[in-house]
Amino acid sequence: MIRLGQYLPGDTIVHRLDPRLKILSVVALSLLIFAATLSEIALISVFLAVVAGAARMTPGQAVGALRPVAFFIAMIFLVHLFFTEGRPLLSFAPLPVEITREGLLRGIYVTWQFVGLILAAAVLTLTTSPSELVGGIERLLRPLSKIGIPSQDLAVMIAMALRFMPMILEEYDRLRMAQMARGADFTTGSLALRTRAVAALAVPLLLSAFRRADELAVAMEARGYRRGPRTTLRELVFSGHDLGAFAVIGILILATTVLRMTAS
Amino acid sequence: MIRVENLIYRYETGSPDCLRGVTLDIAEGVHTALIGPNGSGKTTLIKHLNALLFPDAGTVCVDGMMSTDTSSIREIRRRVGMVFQNPESQIVGMTVEEDVAFGPENLALSSAEIRRRVDACLAMVGMTGFEKRAPHTLSGGEKRLLSIAGVVAMDPRYIVFDEPTAYLDPAAKQRVLAIIRRLNREGMAIIHIAHDMGDVAEADRVVVIDRGQVLLTGTPAEVFGEAERLTAIGLNALPERDGR
Repeated sequence: MIRLGQYLPGDTIVHRLDPRLKILSVVALSLLIFAATLSEIALISVFLAVVAGAARMTPGQAVGALRPVAFFIAMIFLVHLFFTEGRPLLSFAPLPVEITREGLLRGIYVTWQFVGLILAAAVLTLTTSPSELVGGIERLLRPLSKIGIPSQDLAVMIAMALRFMPMILEEYDRLRMAQMARGADFTTGSLALRTRAVAALAVPLLLSAFRRADELAVAMEARGYRRGPRTTLRELVFSGHDLGAFAVIGILILATTVLRMTAS
Repeated sequence: MIRVENLIYRYETGSPDCLRGVTLDIAEGVHTALIGPNGSGKTTLIKHLNALLFPDAGTVCVDGMMSTDTSSIREIRRRVGMVFQNPESQIVGMTVEEDVAFGPENLALSSAEIRRRVDACLAMVGMTGFEKRAPHTLSGGEKRLLSIAGVVAMDPRYIVFDEPTAYLDPAAKQRVLAIIRRLNREGMAIIHIAHDMGDVAEADRVVVIDRGQVLLTGTPAEVFGEAERLTAIGLNALPERDGR
């Protein structure tokens, strides 16, 4: 079943943190990582490792988070490895490519950056339920509603999309079974034939998704959903924990800044 | 009191009228069964009761508020809860408790009050312990119970059930009917679209709709006494038992 990230319910400090703080921290860390030098990345990595440990993230989960982007990361590494000018370590004459010392360093550095980014996001989605994430995003965007950006509607839209995903998958299964029961074949035949068989599912699937969206909209209205004042079951409260975590992130930002100033 | 007067409605201009002059009173605390053949306009009628549809002519008035008065819509929708036919497409939340909280959240209640209602309503339908479950992991019967809890959480005076026992196994069906009975005992008016005449027999009052008009109203005994008129529009006058 499709899920947003791979939320695992738990009760660690990281799980309990305010989702707003976690979202902002990931944004801040991403910026830091993008601008970081090698030594700063090392510092941030240590920090990430500590947080991931506190969240009881297993190495297997970390690998799982990286797997979908592994190909992309590998490409980035190889491109930097082969196409950076500098002192050659290995050349493949007569081919116009060579591995240079700079290329190797650059490749490691960029790969490290990406792995750091992915892992930071993985810690967020692993420890924050989709509804907390949506709630956090809504709260963070709320100031924008003053300039006419409907943060609440946006949050409801994200929530609906997440709610719809399993529903559409179920519908897909149902339709496929129904067509199979009437003799459709999705598993044998040429690729073109199979593609056509699956495409025949797309139209009814789309129609049913629209019908469901329509019904859902009516049901939401019937339960009083309108623009206007609205509250939530779970109020987000900034606790002592959050303050502590906020301080830690602040120190990290400060430390990388100091590192940079002493280096230059 | 919900007062429907000479309600006329058509889905598109130029198409034939779906409701052709329906007049109906629904008193507080009364259990009304609404029956009629497919396409007779039952679902269209109930959508008028909480301002999801608006009359082309005639009026719908809920406790003195006209459904066409936009400033009353929120209050009308709070007072008239609506449990739709398909529970699947009325579950909004990503978890069970969030779904029950959706209505109270729209009423802008305090978190503590929302929490209280969520817990009370889940207990009422026997779903305590399901709070964190994702809706798609529930069985059909559980989804139906959840859709009821979500409506009851708004603390309505009237609840409309559109074929609440459709697609349920006999045990789940009895559970839903027991909940409806209990809500009615607690003083909620029930408007119940039913196909099973056994369910209809429990109502205080039966309204028969045919081709967009009220054909008959009365107590179950009175309505079932008109067997010929019911058979003429394709309804079976004899109460059916489970496992028909």
